[in-house]
Amino acid sequence: MEDMWIKFGQTVICGILLGGMYSLIAIGMTLIMGVMKIVNLAHGALVMVGMYVTYVCATYYGIDPYIGMFIAMPVLFLLGCLIQKYMINRLVEVDSILPENQVLLTVGIMLVLTEVIRLIFNSDYRSVTTSYSSEAIYIGAMSISVPLVIGFIIAMAFTFLLHMFLTNTDLGKSIRATAQDRDAAVYMGVNSSKITMITFGLGAALAAAGGSLLLPMFYLFPDVGHLFTAKSFIITILGGLGSTWGAAIGGLIIGLAESLGATYISMGYKDVVGLVIFLLVLLFLPGGIRSLVKR
Amino acid sequence: MKKYRKVLTVLLLVSFLALVTTGCGGGDSSDTVKVGIILPLTGPEAMFGEMEKNSFDLAYEELKAAGKTSIGGKEIVLMYEDDQGKQDVAKSATEKLINKDQVAMLSGGYSSACTNVIAQSAQSMQKPFLIATGSSDDITRQGWSYVFRGTAAPASKYTGAFWDMMEKVVKPQNVAIIFENTDFGISSSKGFREECQKRGINVVFDQAYEHGAIDFKPMLANLRSTNPDMIFATSYVMDASMIINQMKELNFNTKLFVGNGAGYTMPEFYENAGAASDYVASTSLWVPSVTWSGADEYYNKYKQKYGKEPDYHGAQAYTTMYIIADALGRATDLTSPGIQKAMKETDFNSIMGPIKFEDWEGFTNQNKPITYVVQWDKGKLEVVWPEDVKSASYVYPVPNWNER
Repeated sequence: MEDMWIKFGQTVICGILLGGMYSLIAIGMTLIMGVMKIVNLAHGALVMVGMYVTYVCATYYGIDPYIGMFIAMPVLFLLGCLIQKYMINRLVEVDSILPENQVLLTVGIMLVLTEVIRLIFNSDYRSVTTSYSSEAIYIGAMSISVPLVIGFIIAMAFTFLLHMFLTNTDLGKSIRATAQDRDAAVYMGVNSSKITMITFGLGAALAAAGGSLLLPMFYLFPDVGHLFTAKSFIITILGGLGSTWGAAIGGLIIGLAESLGATYISMGYKDVVGLVIFLLVLLFLPGGIRSLVKR
Repeated sequence: MKKYRKVLTVLLLVSFLALVTTGCGGGDSSDTVKVGIILPLTGPEAMFGEMEKNSFDLAYEELKAAGKTSIGGKEIVLMYEDDQGKQDVAKSATEKLINKDQVAMLSGGYSSACTNVIAQSAQSMQKPFLIATGSSDDITRQGWSYVFRGTAAPASKYTGAFWDMMEKVVKPQNVAIIFENTDFGISSSKGFREECQKRGINVVFDQAYEHGAIDFKPMLANLRSTNPDMIFATSYVMDASMIINQMKELNFNTKLFVGNGAGYTMPEFYENAGAASDYVASTSLWVPSVTWSGADEYYNKYKQKYGKEPDYHGAQAYTTMYIIADALGRATDLTSPGIQKAMKETDFNSIMGPIKFEDWEGFTNQNKPITYVVQWDKGKLEVVWPEDVKSASYVYPVPNWNER
């Protein structure tokens, strides 16, 4: 009986902690989706590039991944801004191009990023081993790995900061205004192309943060991005397109559902749980969590 | 409607272009013998694909220096295609190599799923296909006369030496099986499960997992509550090290953890699992310290040339290249039936032991595998079984985590 509770506790805690990091990555995607109305399928690739930046800092310069994260984030912010300004904006500005083609462009960007990284680092699996990588905190008989806890705390801090930024600063308000109605925002004097650039950079930086937080316990290879694109896409839909809090809660739900599924159904069906939730949300709650709150 | 028409026009144009570009070429250059090699050069399995490509190239260079790449005045040319680890891409790569490039024969095949598709297409188009790695049982159980498997054992037979060791040393009562839900994982765990039934060993836990998971603890916690004597796991490399690390975090002890080749024998396993890799045992098809002649030299040459350690996957590719050159050299004519006949008559001593293509236990053109049990000891992979070729003695039962 006691065993059962330990297992349950372990499952719930690990699921929520992991979900926190999924949230952070998904928030990056949801921001971009909210402002630009396109699905950024290169999002996972941006996570991957962020992870590689942190990896290089850790391996060649001995910088701890949690500090390396603060190098990866500005680098990715810049990369995101450049991609937005010189690639995506060029397509957005042309009215006759279908939104589907903008999505195709992000697929192209994903391929280029992946292959460039492969050219530099080969296809090898790499990982960063830190002194705390396989440390664990023991609560009774439950073991919670330290990087998971640290990652969760930082991810939640970032989510909170982002929320503050979006609600309390002028720039944040402009971003939200652009997301709500681009034309109206432009009439109100918001420089929409600057806003989209910053938003894309911000999304990329958050992606890098999420990836870097996973690095001490996970591993990386050039194609690791697909995993994150798929996850954050599901979470974004679940949260309601463009909703920051929806994505944060959606991430936690997906993390928890996967973990529960792995314990009580089978680990082989872990991903199926997430996809089933995805389908159910599309069928019965097309607006996601956001639409629940609005009611 | 107008919008769609536009899209349709573009699509048509693109497909027309594709037709034009694939339509040309295919010219018959009669001074070369083309060998098509399909490997995952991009995608999640690319690391293995690269190792195999490097090994093919290394063997090719050696053969060339020995003058063995010239078959009756025709030079062997290797043509690589990338399957991205995807079945549909593997199929189109196969068709391209056969129809457009008009290769004399095919080789490669890394994941079992892709290998199966390549084998199927090769058989239906009657092109000899020599498998390098893909090892799920059913590939050589379809009676496909053009499909040969020399360097890879059927997945359920990786465990020959291991069962011998089980009988004499471990004698487990209760075992647990965990495996990734791929063709390879499913096929090898099925073989293990059947063998357990035959021997009256209880399987107390039996679960598949999704490749690439971050948190294995839910499965490991369930596994621990069944208290097995031994765990038998089939995983690729990063999953393998994550499982071992998380077992350590959970302070979960078993008397023996046995991996089924793949991830558990790779240098990357030690790099990522670190000290946790100690005492993990695995079945293996090849180790550099094995007594077959040339094994050591291949290992050293590879390490020198590419700055990395090869494992059995590399050895499979290297050996496969030698078998190809041997068979093409003996073929009386370079048509598909001619090469098929030469392949069937193969009797070759390689760095992986003697290679012959025989029909046995329902398998067709399948070499009888020689297997080993290896165990990690401070970053070194030692052969512990069969006893007559061992490089170190086995450790059983292994010490608990907190006693290390």
